[in-house]
Formats: sequence, C-alpha cells, structure tokens
Amino acid sequence: MYNILVCDDDKEIVEAIEIYLGKEGYKIFKAYNGEDALKVIQENEIHLIILDIMMPKINGIKVAEKIRKDKAIPIIMLSAKSEDYDKINGLNTGADDYMTKPFNPLELIARVNSQIRRYTTLGSIKKEEGNIYQTGGLIINDDTKEVSVDGNKIKLTPTEYNILKFLTKNKGIVFSIEQIYENVWEDEAYGAENIIAVHIRHIREKIEINPKEPKYLKVIWGIGYRIENIK
Amino acid sequence: MKDIRNSNALKAICYILVPCLILIIILSAISIGYYASEIDRNEFNQYQIDTGVITEYEGDIYRENLVYQLSANTYQIAPSIFMISSILLIICMIYIIISIGHKKGEDGIYLDSLDKIPYELLLILTLILFGIEMALLAGPCYQLIFEEYNSYIINTGILAAILDGVIIYITITTLVITTIRRTKAHIFWKNTIVYKLFQFIFKGLFINFSETVKLAVEYGGFIIASVILIFITMQNPIVVFFLLGFWYYIFKKILSHINQFNKVREKIGKMYKGDISVPLDEEELYGELRQIARELNDISGGLSNAIEEATKSERLKTELITNVSHDIKTPLTSIINYVDLMKKEEIENPKVQEYLEVLDNKSQRLKKLTEDLIEASKASSGNIKLTMEKLNVKELIKQVSGEFEDRFHNRGLEIIENYPEEEVSITADSRYLYRVMENVYGNIAKYALENSRVYIDVIKENRKVQIILKNISQDKLNITVDELMQRFVRGDVSRTTEGSGLGISIAKSLTELQNGKFDIFLDGDLFKVVIEF
Repeated sequence: MYNILVCDDDKEIVEAIEIYLGKEGYKIFKAYNGEDALKVIQENEIHLIILDIMMPKINGIKVAEKIRKDKAIPIIMLSAKSEDYDKINGLNTGADDYMTKPFNPLELIARVNSQIRRYTTLGSIKKEEGNIYQTGGLIINDDTKEVSVDGNKIKLTPTEYNILKFLTKNKGIVFSIEQIYENVWEDEAYGAENIIAVHIRHIREKIEINPKEPKYLKVIWGIGYRIENIK
Repeated sequence: MKDIRNSNALKAICYILVPCLILIIILSAISIGYYASEIDRNEFNQYQIDTGVITEYEGDIYRENLVYQLSANTYQIAPSIFMISSILLIICMIYIIISIGHKKGEDGIYLDSLDKIPYELLLILTLILFGIEMALLAGPCYQLIFEEYNSYIINTGILAAILDGVIIYITITTLVITTIRRTKAHIFWKNTIVYKLFQFIFKGLFINFSETVKLAVEYGGFIIASVILIFITMQNPIVVFFLLGFWYYIFKKILSHINQFNKVREKIGKMYKGDISVPLDEEELYGELRQIARELNDISGGLSNAIEEATKSERLKTELITNVSHDIKTPLTSIINYVDLMKKEEIENPKVQEYLEVLDNKSQRLKKLTEDLIEASKASSGNIKLTMEKLNVKELIKQVSGEFEDRFHNRGLEIIENYPEEEVSITADSRYLYRVMENVYGNIAKYALENSRVYIDVIKENRKVQIILKNISQDKLNITVDELMQRFVRGDVSRTTEGSGLGISIAKSLTELQNGKFDIFLDGDLFKVVIEF
C-alpha cells in the first residue's frame, strides 16, 4: 500500500481525488495548505505528492522546493494555471509531472500509477539482456518483440512496432515522414508514406497517458517525429 | 557658473566700476601723456612761484597746474594704474556681456519691455539722445581746454563733464544691453522694422514657397549684392576679404539648414515606419524647422501615448480574462469530477442518467470554452512568445491529416491533397502553426458536409506559400466573412453543441502573429480558408 499526499486549498477537489485514488488502493493523506503538507511529509512516509500551486500560506512552488532539498518523492503539480510558462516553472522547481485543472480523473490515475511504479520499482529493475531499447519508462525488447510503458504491456501492430523501434533506437533525433518511410519499409509500398502519420498517432494513443501532450513520442509540426531521450 | 551670472550685486558693482575705471584710465593716460611731453616742469614751477598772482591767464595756469599736479603726483604709478584699470575694465565688460539677459529665477534669456521696441527706433532715439548729450558735453569740454577763464569755471566744467559722461554712459549702456540681450535671445532680426517689412513683403509674395526656395532667393540676393559691391568698390581687397568671410558664413548657414532639414526628414521617415521612440531635439533646429520639429514631436508623443494606452488596456484585458478563467477552472474541476463520480454510482432512474449526461456535456464544453478564451485573448493581444523556424509545409499537412484521419473518416470525409513536387518551406512557429491547422481541420471535421471531399492545396508562387483548404459546408452559410471572423460567432449561429466559436478567430490571430495572412472565402456552400506565408 502506497501513501499519497493530496494538497489543495479546495476541499472538494481533494476529496474527489481521494475517492478516485482510494479505489485504486492508495492511502490518502490530506492537506489544505503548504504548511500542513510539509508537516504531513515530516510525520509520515509518503510515496507521492499531488500539489496545487495557488495555495494560502506557502504556495506549491515553494513546497516543492522545500521537499526537493532532501527528498526524491515524486511530485505531480495540479494547477489551474495552464500557460507554458507555468508548466516550465513548475517542472523546473522539481515537479515530476504537471497537470492542469480541470483534469481528467483517468489521466490523473494513470499518471499517479506511472510515477509510483517508477519511484518504487523501476529504479531497481535489472537491465535485461538482449536487444533492449529504452527511454524513461518505455522499454522495447526486440527479442521478444514486446513493448512496455511503466511496466504495462502495450499491444502494437507490426508496422507500429517497427516505427517505434526505429525511433527509440535513434532516440533524441527528429525524423521526417519520408525518412521514417525509407528506414522502416524495406520494400517500396507506394502510398504507404501517407499513412505513417496515422500510425504514429495510433502509437501515441497506445503508449502515452495523454496523446495530446505526449511524453515519449513528440511531434515537431512541420519537421517530423522524435522519441524523447529520458533517463 | 549660472549662479554667478544671476548675481545682482556683482552686476551693480560692474556697472558702477566701468565708468569709474574709464575715468581712471583717462586720467592716467593724461598723466602719462603729460609726463612724456616736452614741458619743463621746473621751469613751470618757477614761473608759478615767480608770478604768484592771478592774471587774466589764471584759467590757463590753473588748468595747466591741475594737469601738472596730477602728473607730478602720479606719473610713477600711472602706467601700472593704466594697465590694471584696463584689465579690470575688460573683465567687467566680459562679465557684463555674459551676465546680460540672465536673471535669478528665470530660465533662459530674460527680456523686458525695452527689448520689444523695434531696434531701428531705439537706435534713432539713442542717437538723438547721444547727440544732445554730446552737444551738452561740448560746452564744458571747450571751457576746459580752450577758454581761459578762472578756476571756478574750470571746476564747474569738470563737474559738468563728469555728469554728462555718466548720462552718456547710461544711454550707451542701455543700447548695448538691449542689443546683446536681443542677440542672445535670437530675436535681434525679428524685432527690426526692416525684418518686419521684409516679412510682410515675403509673406505676400512667397507664402506658398518652400523653405528651400526662400533660402535660395535670400542667399542668391546676398551673393548678387556682394558681387555688385565688389565692383562698386573697385575690388578693394578689404571688401573682398569681408565678402569672402560673409560668403563662407552663408555657405555654412546653408549647410546647417540642409543638415537640419535632413534631421526632420529622417524623423518623419522613422515615424512613417512606426518608430516613434526618439523625439527630435528642438534645440538643434532653428526657425520654421524648429516649429515643424515641435509639431512632429507633439504628434509622435500623442501617437506613442495612444499606442501605450491601447497596449496597456489590451494587456489588462488579457490579464483579466486569464485570471477570471483560472478562477472559473477551480470550481469547474469539482463539477466535472463529481458529475463523473455520480455517473459511476448506480442510479436506476433513467431520467437522472439523462440529466447527468447533459451536465457532463455542458461542463466539458465550459472547460473547452475557458481554455479557448485564454488562448484567444492571448493570441489577439500578441501576448505569445514565438520560436520561428523553417518548417516543411508538406510534412505539416501530412502530419495534421494523420491526426485528423479518424475524425474525417467517421464523417466520410475524403482528403485530397495537392502539392508541388519540390520542397515547400515557410518560417513559422511549429507549435502555433499546428494550433492554426488544428483549428481549421477541427472546423472542417465539425461542419463539413458528410461524405464530401476536402481539398488541401499547397501553392508556391514567387516567394509566397499558400495553403488552401476547401470544403462544402453542411449547413447553409447565412453569415458574412466578417461575422465569421469575429469571436464568438460560428458558421451556423444556432449551433450550440460543440466548440466555442473562437477557433477561427484564434487561427487568424495566431497566423498573423507569425507574419502570415489568414483569409476566409465563402461561395455558396463552399468554405475556403487561405493561409499565406
């Protein structure tokens, strides 16, 4: 059983999150301002923190800064502020993830699960032998042709698998549709080029928690696609 | 330095010192002159002692004696007194010239009513006064030097001469002061009858002529007049020398005029291009150009104020919308979450299920609306940081088409793409260009006629790239393009099911922010979007 601290000055939001995460089997600690949050962290063993930014007394950014001084607990920021600036600021102060209000409960649960798994197990996973391609929680085992994200097995079609494998093998590099086509298709199937964008969207829908804000498979509009290099 | 110029006490001392110094200089000059003359002092001395009586030559002897006494007593120190007094006089005069026109508590040159009298009038008046005074002075002077009266008359003569000298000093000083003051205030010419006469004639004749024509006429006249003068004076070298100097002066003046004109021209050029930050330095310009500069500065000042005001109010509006949207989002989060939780509860009443569905739809729409509202206000106020880079248009179209493939497929929409063989690239912000395309594609996915074709053409012409998206609208387009572009208006006014109606407006603002053009054309049921970079 993992302990999650939910900190938001809006009580109803905290309670709703408690219901959703309680159903997933997490134990929830509640705090309604930054001060209480820090107190709870001192007194209990917490495995993940969901933190609002705009709060009385001590705001979320400052709380995150204080926690980061001596703890590596995953922090998910949850804020009504949706500008790029706010997200970058939040992530820079030590948050592991950033979600905007109003949020999709399923997405929140998925992100919590992902962070918990990474925090508690992934660090200790032994590197498997063989042809393994990995970035962050995304692992491709080319021997067994298996793909998993944060420990969850993902089902891909052979084409999708080939595209993902090619991009992950060359993670951090942007490839245009044409380049992907030339590298992945061995025989020149005419017209297949046009559906690569569709395949990529399908891959994103399968491996990403929120396909519109992808973590692994990034779209650089007008240039190409890239698998992020995450350590 | 400025304080010294404004000191009234120093001024008073100088004005009193000057006549005194002049008197001392005259006296010491007489002393030196007399000492140097051939007269045998001892002889004279003897003569005086011998006679010892008052004769009809008493005046002569007395005068002689006066000068002798002066010389005898002072001839040793007279040269140094002469030198020191001269130097002091020069210092006093310089101070007076510098201090003229400056007054405590007054900025710039202080003018009084005297300076308003036309200069010629003042000159004539002074000359008349000067003449009268000189005539008055002539009497005592004659008395002093030539008449052979007695000592009493000589003494009164000296007194009268000094008094008259003071009056003449006051008259001349007054004229000098006003002349210097006028020159310093640059109104010397303006306040002459000649200038006014010229201005009267010129205004009548050249009212519509430009500054350049006026300059040409004025300076051309000067040069012709000086050439004539050279011939009249038989090429006198002194006249030629002075005229050359004068021509040089005129040449400099013309150059300075051209320079000033260029400054004004440059400023207008800048203003035309929208740079209104640096005002013209009025002090560097003279005459009509200074007036123009002042008016230009006023205009650009007003403009920049207006722009500043507009930017400020636009920014405030954006801030207000953003803040209000944030405040809406928090309660909205709870609404969405609890509606979702209720839907998961076991409710048997189908009506409640139905109501929950409505609540779910509406709260989701409200969410989309607040997000679009923030984006629209930011886009229209230009409150967005762009990263411009070279983008491949064909790649972009393929990517976006791939994203929307499912939604288009669901409504039976077929995409037909047409682009040139060669590579087509534009400079834009990758993410915001996608937002533009996403909004346009989203619009098509929502409002295009089911089972129809969507044409996407890329045209490269000269240096322009056009992306043209055409589709057939499902509903009758009973609306003008202008209305469609405005925020909160959608193709079909009655439709309230999806979207915020901000999509097209956001797309237009974002395209324009990236230096592109976004146009919509309606032709019957044909809906055409043209994006140009």
